[in-house]
Amino acid sequence: MKGNYDAIVVGGGHNGLICAAYLAKAGKKVLVLEKRYVLGGAAVSEELYPGFTFSVASYVVSLFRPHIIRELELAKHGYEVIPMDCSLSPLPNGDSLARWGDAHKSRREISRFSQKDAEVYPEFSRIMTHMGKLAKEVIDHPAPDINSLKIKELANLLRLGKAFKDLGPDLLHMNIKLVTMSALDFLDQWFESEVLKAPMSVSGIIGTFQGVRSPGTAYVLLHHYMGQLDGAFRSWGFSKGGTGGISMACANAARSYGAEIKTNAPVHKVLIKNGQAYGVVLENGDEYTAKTIISNLDPNQTYLNLVGEKNLDDEIVKQVKRFKFRGSSGKVNLALDRVPEFSCRPGVGDHLRGDIAIAPSIDYLEKAFDEAKYGSFSKRPYINAVIPSLTDPTVAPPGKHILSCFVQYAPYNIKEGAENWPKYREAFGDAVVDTMAEYIPGLKDMILYRQVLTPWDIEKQMGLTEGNIFQGELSLEQLLFQRPISGYAKYKTSVPSLYMCGSGTHPGGGIMGASGELCAKTILQSRSI
Amino acid sequence: MNKSYDIIVIGGGHNGLTTATILAKKGMKVLLLEKNKFLGGIASGHEFIPGYRTTGLVHDTSGVRTSVLKQLGLEQFGLKIKNARPDAAILAKDGRGIFLPSDRNKAIEEITKISKDDGEAYRDYRIFIDEIGKFLFPLLNEIPPDLIQFGTKELFALGKKGLALKKLGKKTMTELLKVGPMSVADFLNERFETEFLKAGLLGPSIYASYTGPWSSYTTLNLLMWEVCAREHIVGGPQALVNALEKAAISAGVVIKLQSEVSSINVDKHGMVTGITLKDGAVENSPIVASSCTPQHTFLDLLAPNVIDYPLERSIQNYRSRGTTAKVNIALSNKVKFKFKSDDTIEYARTGNSIDEMEKAFDSVKYRKFSDHPILDIHVPSVSDPTVAPDGHSVLSILVHFAPYHFDAGWNKEQKDRLKDNVEDMLLDYIENSRDEIVGCEVLSPVDFEDQFNLTNGHIFHGEHAVDQLITRPIPYCARYDTPIKGLYLSGSGAHPGGGITCAPGFLAAERIIKHKD
Amino acid sequence: MPVKSPFHPRTSQLCESMNYKEWAGYYAVSSYLVHHDMEYFAFRNSAGLLDITPLYKYSVKGKDAASFLSRIMVKNINKLKVGRVTYCCWCTADGKVVDDGTVMRRGDEEFFVTSADPCFSWFSRFKRGYDVQLEDISTQIAGLALQGPTSRDIIKQITSADMDRLKFFGTTRARVAGFEINISRTGYTGDLGYELWVDNANAIKLYDLLMAEGGRYNIRPAGLDALDVTRVEAGLILKDVDYYNALHALIDDRKSSPYEISLGWTVNLERAPFNGQKALKKEKESGSSWTIVGLDIDWTEIEKLYNSYGLPPEVGSMAWRDSIPIYKDKSKKTQIGYATSGTWSPILKKNIALATIEKKFDKPGATVQIECTVEHIRHTVSARLTSPQFFNPERKKSTPSVENKKQ
Repeated sequence: MKGNYDAIVVGGGHNGLICAAYLAKAGKKVLVLEKRYVLGGAAVSEELYPGFTFSVASYVVSLFRPHIIRELELAKHGYEVIPMDCSLSPLPNGDSLARWGDAHKSRREISRFSQKDAEVYPEFSRIMTHMGKLAKEVIDHPAPDINSLKIKELANLLRLGKAFKDLGPDLLHMNIKLVTMSALDFLDQWFESEVLKAPMSVSGIIGTFQGVRSPGTAYVLLHHYMGQLDGAFRSWGFSKGGTGGISMACANAARSYGAEIKTNAPVHKVLIKNGQAYGVVLENGDEYTAKTIISNLDPNQTYLNLVGEKNLDDEIVKQVKRFKFRGSSGKVNLALDRVPEFSCRPGVGDHLRGDIAIAPSIDYLEKAFDEAKYGSFSKRPYINAVIPSLTDPTVAPPGKHILSCFVQYAPYNIKEGAENWPKYREAFGDAVVDTMAEYIPGLKDMILYRQVLTPWDIEKQMGLTEGNIFQGELSLEQLLFQRPISGYAKYKTSVPSLYMCGSGTHPGGGIMGASGELCAKTILQSRSI
Repeated sequence: MNKSYDIIVIGGGHNGLTTATILAKKGMKVLLLEKNKFLGGIASGHEFIPGYRTTGLVHDTSGVRTSVLKQLGLEQFGLKIKNARPDAAILAKDGRGIFLPSDRNKAIEEITKISKDDGEAYRDYRIFIDEIGKFLFPLLNEIPPDLIQFGTKELFALGKKGLALKKLGKKTMTELLKVGPMSVADFLNERFETEFLKAGLLGPSIYASYTGPWSSYTTLNLLMWEVCAREHIVGGPQALVNALEKAAISAGVVIKLQSEVSSINVDKHGMVTGITLKDGAVENSPIVASSCTPQHTFLDLLAPNVIDYPLERSIQNYRSRGTTAKVNIALSNKVKFKFKSDDTIEYARTGNSIDEMEKAFDSVKYRKFSDHPILDIHVPSVSDPTVAPDGHSVLSILVHFAPYHFDAGWNKEQKDRLKDNVEDMLLDYIENSRDEIVGCEVLSPVDFEDQFNLTNGHIFHGEHAVDQLITRPIPYCARYDTPIKGLYLSGSGAHPGGGITCAPGFLAAERIIKHKD
Repeated sequence: MPVKSPFHPRTSQLCESMNYKEWAGYYAVSSYLVHHDMEYFAFRNSAGLLDITPLYKYSVKGKDAASFLSRIMVKNINKLKVGRVTYCCWCTADGKVVDDGTVMRRGDEEFFVTSADPCFSWFSRFKRGYDVQLEDISTQIAGLALQGPTSRDIIKQITSADMDRLKFFGTTRARVAGFEINISRTGYTGDLGYELWVDNANAIKLYDLLMAEGGRYNIRPAGLDALDVTRVEAGLILKDVDYYNALHALIDDRKSSPYEISLGWTVNLERAPFNGQKALKKEKESGSSWTIVGLDIDWTEIEKLYNSYGLPPEVGSMAWRDSIPIYKDKSKKTQIGYATSGTWSPILKKNIALATIEKKFDKPGATVQIECTVEHIRHTVSARLTSPQFFNPERKKSTPSVENKKQ
């Protein structure tokens, strides 16, 4: 048995590494244990085909908290993000809509479809940016606990209440709408052109088992407008060397502060004595002890696997089991032997250096969702594609390229049963390639290598329950003081000395780093180590 | 100004009648204007085939507020109320069904016949409804707090609501906050196992909505309906309208039928001065209460330049996509449901499975009506045999989903197709044969709009979506008064929303009285 | 990437300095030569020719066109006569300025509107209930401003339209070498001048004609740098510099009413409801908090200040647009406002500025202090409050034929 650690972090995803870095920076003795040979969890880069480095799962950086970059000095440790300038939406009729950083260029582009929309577009951005202030309040602090009457909690609530009040009446109501409306209904208040609304609305459904007409999806639209508040003009970008680059920077920072990181070290169980967590045992039987155990795994894995039902109250088990995952997306990564050119805009240019959304109409997106609702992957899915090799030449050999496709919907629970996903994996891959080939002539002849990740694969490879990339649905009843469960939403679990720091905790989702950071700060504040 | 009336009420539906009567009873001189030849709006019944009558275009009276009816004194005008929601049957396609009496213990007994676990679950469910009803029901019976103009007073009012919520106890409160935003499918799946029971229970949560059972927040709608479903009116909505009419006349309300308002008149100070009728006649009054939809009130009845853009925009963004059609069927026999072959079932709901209901909604997204619609059935002839010839029946069926926004257009051919769909569906559940159908009337959302000025044919005057419930219809007029001085909203587009409740009409009257004092 | 105006083939040839800026998504010449002086003096002494295509242009037609525009604008457009132009602004419901521009009445039911920001969406919002056709013709119509004392003579050379009768803020159609243009006697220099509106197809022809005929009247292509100096001299405010579009402002403090930006004179309050009427009536009654004034900055003090460092006064010849604090007195205890644009006026030989100050300090002739940084140290110098209209030559409004008749 090896001991004397202040904290053991189970899982080396970016949140786990950030948590470890903060704790190590505070002088704590920290050990990170990662199951795989490589760090990063879902923010991982792997050379799956000689010369090609894939951002296997998560592929763009959006909401990474800037203060984490400052506080952990990540730039020094290799953090490098290259901004994206364009959002391209190809249309089946050979036309396309491109939205740019250049406002007038976007206006001219959108006005081809609706002049009103073109002019309202910046107005909408301004309102959303303004409202983003509130979201920032929410994601940069632990969730307020409405059950508690403690002064500190009331102060938290008041702070949030003030942020609300400061918005003024119109924006206040807008916020109610934002939280409860569907992404499409919300956009309908401003825009008329589907060509614009379809690619905008998909921001609301990424990673969720919802359609653009599903109530509650509008909120995520806000995330797209928060970058500006963080002082960066463009918040979306590619991490150099793939998204694993971010995890490596976090790991380097953690190591520089003295944290110990082990890969190929799958944790079997959290060790519990007298109801209190005191260490972990690896699958190979090695045991490590520490004052605090922190799980970067999702709530299901943490409570039901690492801890085990027998160590938990029935009520906790019930609440954990009702926490919804429902992975809805897959990933198809392609190595290509030349640049994929789009028939809507032949040639290679900045229009390919951003993200490319296959979301040609609302009906298209809804049909994709309807198929998933009844247990099939979408035959014509929504795809968010990027060609990182055009921006970052280090990820592919000269002249060769990577086309990375985030695909929705691929429901974990197909009607044949999730365990049958491997049988449908290639058919799913074909659907994606067929869809992309409608916009990229000759795509099929360019493919050197293809990786297809179904939600089943994501669960098996990355340990994300039901393949949910956010460690749990981002629906209102699973956010804030209810993420993951009411009463244990502030990184503490129901097991003393066991904490959680993954996306399954507030604020959750995406490469944000906030969960890891807030967990570490919560632990440090509690002075338990 | 030449003041002829203290108040003019536009629209003689149940809410308009309620507002008018309450105010007249306070001694005000009230004029009520109704576009149609008859009162009642969509609460009124009509003879759709010679000899066959319905008792209301919509027929669910379970949410009617007895406290309001009492203040109106309707019992002295012959209104009979039963203090229990109506017994209802939940139907499955395979001929099974559950009879759900309003009496809880009997209902549990019935459910237990199908599934013991579900019987237990239903008991817990109803206890939960009782618990949260203590918090929710009062909210739905008072002028809502001002959520938008945040001041100390409002904060205090909100704080009080917060405390009322806390009073439920930690467990109930936590559970309410957890399930409120959920989809009704998730909510019921967590509790029940019998698919068609779930489908039948969830019906009211999605009727007239733009959501299917898998949509978030539908649980909230179910809970709202459940906490309000406490009564029903003998003889259906038409009986309510009859009593309301008598009460109005007795209170001194001047009622003018076939008097469609073409504009609400506003002076240069932005104050209401009265109305102008389609025939050009002008009626003066410093107060106008409109029980029409918010869109009709603001966008059709007011001159464009008297409403400010933020208000206009807010109204234009108010969502009221009609998704309900009505099919009235005359039958030459008693209705015999397959699962229970007596002929006493008056209310029945279909659904069959959550996914089938979701699919019925899916079609709306593609601007089509569903080929396998959900039926919300009322057989008025069971309790009132006079609505049909001896031994015959009337089936009043609300059909979900049939959208106002309909690519094919609501022509005769499409209506016939809908009629066929409904008949096909119906015959799955009843023993009667197609030959027994004497005749049929189909009313589309477009018909609702044409006849009752219901914007987009929405029977609730606007969707019951969270943002449209918290500040109904919009923040600028969520407390009945509007930015136009003297103009009030008193229809289903105001808090607490649509359905035959009389609550918006009553609360609007209260607000008007408060302002007058 | 900005786009090119129809005049670009000519202007780009003439733009020796390669000095461009972006204006509403177009390439716009800042100055044709490295220094804008010659262009400024062309505006004031002969004629400067400026490409104003980037302005947004709208056609409003139909039975209710006048009442539709009256609903939007703070001015009663119903009263605008055919052949006349008016300058005004338009407001939100709470009486805050969205944009300013000109409205030209070309016929009973035909108007032409220019604006600085795209306003198609804004105007469209008020179409409900009006029989009106609104069309954005920004990319179909090119515009040239010909400004300066000889501008009338130049235009007379290219058209037979009676320029001697076209009054200040009048507009007319005119035939030019086989095609038609619209001429309005308007501009942004505060001098005699015209704006010419032409279909894209004829743009180059018009440009060539003006340059050819203008030669003997010392016509000169002029850019935005020179324009900026003239507009400050004329006291003409600029959106995004002297005020913000209320739709773009994130906080209420950044929004302005017409009264606060010296456009109160454009407001017609007593009439049918229009956007912002209620709020403006209220403000008119209770008074505004802010106002725009002219500042005549004391040159002697500036000279003295520089001299104290052993320097001659260093004042840039370019107009500036930084926000500069204005104080009540030397103590700098009370900031009463801020200057938003200013310039050295070559013709007045004065250092002048436009400033927004609290209304209660607006006493014409009073002296205030404006910040002045010399050798990296912040000082203040005195400035006298004046009308913003520093330069207003008689020729701006004079109409020869009409005046001859009077005599």
